[in-house]
Amino acid sequence: MSFQFTKCGWLSWEGNRMGITPGMRLGPFEVLGPIPRAASRPPKRAQNGFPGRLFVVEGIDGSGKSTQLSLLHKWLESKGYGVVFSQWNSSPLVKDTTKLGKKKKLLTPATFSLIHATDFADRTERRILPLLKAGGVVLCDRYTYTAFARDVARGMDRQWVRELYGFAVQPTVAFYFRVPLETAIGRLLDGRDGFKFYEAGMDLDLSDDPEESFRLFQGRIIEEYEKMIPEFGLTVIDATLPIETQQTRIRQIVESHLVKAAGLRIWP
Amino acid sequence: MRETYGKLLPGMSLSDLGGKLIVIEGTDGVGRTTQINQLKPWLEEQGHAVLDTGMTRSPLTGEGIRRAKEGNNLGRVTQTLFYATDFFDRLENEIVPALRAGFIVLTDRYVYSLMARATVRGVDPEWVRSVFSVALKPDAVFYLRLGIEQLVPRVVFSRGFDYWESGMDLYPGYDMYDSFCAYQAALLAEFDRFSEEFKFETLNASAAPQSVFSHLKIKILRLLAMDPPAPLAAMLASRAHAPAAREARVPCAAGKGAGAIDFDWTKGPTAARPGHSNGNTHGPVEDV
Repeated sequence: MSFQFTKCGWLSWEGNRMGITPGMRLGPFEVLGPIPRAASRPPKRAQNGFPGRLFVVEGIDGSGKSTQLSLLHKWLESKGYGVVFSQWNSSPLVKDTTKLGKKKKLLTPATFSLIHATDFADRTERRILPLLKAGGVVLCDRYTYTAFARDVARGMDRQWVRELYGFAVQPTVAFYFRVPLETAIGRLLDGRDGFKFYEAGMDLDLSDDPEESFRLFQGRIIEEYEKMIPEFGLTVIDATLPIETQQTRIRQIVESHLVKAAGLRIWP
Repeated sequence: MRETYGKLLPGMSLSDLGGKLIVIEGTDGVGRTTQINQLKPWLEEQGHAVLDTGMTRSPLTGEGIRRAKEGNNLGRVTQTLFYATDFFDRLENEIVPALRAGFIVLTDRYVYSLMARATVRGVDPEWVRSVFSVALKPDAVFYLRLGIEQLVPRVVFSRGFDYWESGMDLYPGYDMYDSFCAYQAALLAEFDRFSEEFKFETLNASAAPQSVFSHLKIKILRLLAMDPPAPLAAMLASRAHAPAAREARVPCAAGKGAGAIDFDWTKGPTAARPGHSNGNTHGPVEDV
């Protein structure tokens, strides 16, 4: 005995007694099979204690990480996963303050570090964490490693910055898009004219020329990223490869972490 | 030579910070602002240049924090870090330059208030200390202490209950009064703990404001290594600078245990374990 449903509405279980079976037609109705049951067991939890999965992309500006993440996002959605995307510097509570600080050049290395940590804390507390608890697939464009690289390149204490982000959830996989500085600069200059003040590290007085300053500052950031690969076990993606090749590799890795998490799908 | 609580901010030299950093601490409504408003003109009369500063007065975050507090969705870690940003902006751009120029800096609250607020909300105390380890050690911390039973009438009959001062984000099921008592008692217990750890000079804030002011003046003059003027010296002799008597602990002071939540995200809200270690227990993530 089971409830049955049709394309146009519900039929009670009494249908069974009347010899109505799936595949029959009743006037305008087509009788479909029984309702597929929801996954009876919750998905296995990842080792961070949450049923959800967290994938993050890291790399310098112009490494192509955002392009890859958006391709991954569309693919996961098409596979039926509940996917949520969270971007660096996007907290509705904090981002106006960051914008003000950048526009008026009020930020020192310390307050630059803290305001970004505040933004990240808000997104963690209100979005990333609850969604991981609910079993979502969370994608982050830039994560704590961005802060570790940039803040240390600005002269903040390496250990202090790592402790500052002590509240962050460890990602399932952190992809690092490795790209030579010149390639990244070429990509960035194609798309727009010039660099922004903080992006080029102009607050550090490395050089009066924004492009030269960008080169020096991003060079330091790359050094920090390279040190973090063994420290945090970042997954390196060669960002000079064709977009499709990179994406295939990323999808393989992500899929291997979703195999045992079929229950994360919001539709089959 | 001036010191910090551990780490140093980039570009901050501690060698030439000649001024004095004086902190007035205490829970909400003990009269800190009243005292600072009197101390500043008094010190200026003595020929000292004075900078007064206080929470959320930074041009960077002042407005942002005000707006965030209007909503109901300011999380405890976010709140701690937003206030930390405000503090470090003022430390680097106001306090340190003023000290370098030989000013007396009077600050209405310091890192201790921020640490107490975070800790009673269940944020890992080790983490909070690490964030504020780059703060300067002040020359003196004057802790205006008021028991909860004296605090309540002061707050109620002057400005009324405020959502955040009542810790309503911590005790959503309580009414403002119950929540205020529980929250302020927890803060008070935290401050009392700090007063030993960070060598606070405690003043009994239940005395008349003028009497508290006189005590503060004496203590500050001593700090500035100057002879007190005659009327104050007479008062000093008569009262024998009895340190403010501690009132009995309030029965409802439940300390950190009152509604404090463990910092470990994975476990959901659980009772806090005093002295527990770093709450960040997430190892590298792999599927099981």
